Amino acid sequence: MTSPVLVIGAGVAGMTAAIELADSGVKVVLVDRLRTIGGNALDLYKAFPTDDCFYCFEGNRTRPGIRKCFYRSAMTDQPNIDLYTDTTVEEISGEAGEFHAKLAVGPRYVDPKKCILCGKCMEHSQAFEMLSPQCQPQAVVYNPSKAEDGDKKAEEECPTEAINLNAEASEETVKVSDIIIATGYHEMKPVNVEEYGYGTHPNIVTQLELAKMLDPNGESAGTLLRPSDGEPVKRMMMVQCVGSRDERYYPYCSKICCVFALKHAVIATKERENIKVSVVYMDIRTYDRHEQYYREAREDGVEFVRGRVTRIEPRNDGSLDVIVYDSLLDKYLKSNIDLFVLSSALEPPEGASDLMSQLGLKSASGFVAPVDLVAENEVVVGKRIYACGTALGPAEVPESVNQARAVVSKILQSRK
Amino acid sequence: MAETDEKASPPVTLVDPIDMSKLDPSFRDDVKSMPNGEELTACFACSTCTAACPIANQWDFKPHQLIRMILLGMREEVLSSREIWECLTCFECQERCPQNVRVTDIFFDCKNLAAEEGYEVPENVLVLGKELVDKGQLYVVTADWEREDLDLEPEVPGLSVEEVEKILKKTRTGRLVGGE
Repeated sequence: MTSPVLVIGAGVAGMTAAIELADSGVKVVLVDRLRTIGGNALDLYKAFPTDDCFYCFEGNRTRPGIRKCFYRSAMTDQPNIDLYTDTTVEEISGEAGEFHAKLAVGPRYVDPKKCILCGKCMEHSQAFEMLSPQCQPQAVVYNPSKAEDGDKKAEEECPTEAINLNAEASEETVKVSDIIIATGYHEMKPVNVEEYGYGTHPNIVTQLELAKMLDPNGESAGTLLRPSDGEPVKRMMMVQCVGSRDERYYPYCSKICCVFALKHAVIATKERENIKVSVVYMDIRTYDRHEQYYREAREDGVEFVRGRVTRIEPRNDGSLDVIVYDSLLDKYLKSNIDLFVLSSALEPPEGASDLMSQLGLKSASGFVAPVDLVAENEVVVGKRIYACGTALGPAEVPESVNQARAVVSKILQSRK
Repeated sequence: MAETDEKASPPVTLVDPIDMSKLDPSFRDDVKSMPNGEELTACFACSTCTAACPIANQWDFKPHQLIRMILLGMREEVLSSREIWECLTCFECQERCPQNVRVTDIFFDCKNLAAEEGYEVPENVLVLGKELVDKGQLYVVTADWEREDLDLEPEVPGLSVEEVEKILKKTRTGRLVGGE
């Protein structure tokens, strides 16, 4: 029997690669360091280009199952997939075709296969949490940092005996033939870009934080409220290219932020009441057919200011006075706003460089670089090592999926 | 920690910004609701119009800036500008606009709004208006050799201007220039 394939990261790209390999009869070990899979996309309310929950874009409609979440439910139900959440890859040794990956598996306080989501434990203690209604595996998780007296009672009363408070972290070594790096991206926290004041005021947020606020599954059920005092947001301003195209941070264009921001601007303008949105930009890069978002945003009354921010001054009432230089008018504009949203750069995730040096992979601006730049081998990053999705650099959802499928195709061909 | 409290406020700058709260967002809607304004908000400020304009070089506000000012709600500045009246109406900007914004026609709308709302109308325009109201036409065509060269009858066909005078007297043009 051939060895399984190791997929590192269970976001859009990793899950696509895992399920397609599994469907083709290949055993997969799917590892994610968080306690729920789904990656950054889990926090997106709507994903472009379909404005749908990202798991449901056109190519997946023919798959059976509950439309909204079939993709991730397959991760737990597909017998060919061995899912490890709360797990990191500590070390990889061996060589192509026979890698040995040492996995550090977090303590399994709640057995996801037994948990029936009755919610009893959550009544007894705050340490038991449901991370998201869409969390996968669909199970409660236990957070030991919030431990309290009720924990014991919760353990005793769990009707399916799913809870084991004495669980301990473990280590496991798996033998795999191929490795797929799908470690995704991290949204830069722009604390160092001083002129935007991120971290100094609660009403200054990033685009991914805004996505969470707009999500109907979120805390405010999708109503846009000021983080400072819960007052409704009436005026919102976005700034593009924060940390991207900036030699002091990341020289590359993060590629998705323009469409990402405009998508949010349109949601705020059209689906929420009385929110006036301004977008401060240097170039709008809504490449390909994404241009329609730009046109739609203008038609919906989103205000575009080509220029940069001069300064931000918080007012006592929780709002912010922002002065922007409008380079088209050659004038400075002063606006009072409730929420200031930074379209922050996509950066390589924590630990990416360690993994790359361990496997001897090349880097391109911190992301995994292909072995050679010929397009057909875009996803090949080493001997029997592949990468897909934002591990290779900023990418949109359909692109990540395409790359994942390219990886699957490469692996299947190699096993013929 | 007291450290963050003591952080100095941002340095004073000499920037004197336009206070957006004092502008008039209804201006944008007014222009958009006029016959030529439908595509106004499609403008993405590429400045094709300014590149096309034969006289923008002479202007303080270039065509793309005027559109931008309309979008921002700068009613006062646009309607009192000399630029909207100096437009040659060659329509080059409108022809070239990649987003189908009717730039020249929007300037016409602005002229109409300016006249309607009591902003100053330049003297030369008023003179033309008076000519129209008084004579029903701007140029009186006379019989001359040019007609002969063109093989036209020497006599100019009669032009009835009374109706034109009558109508114009009842319009804004009439109100602006008075008339006899």
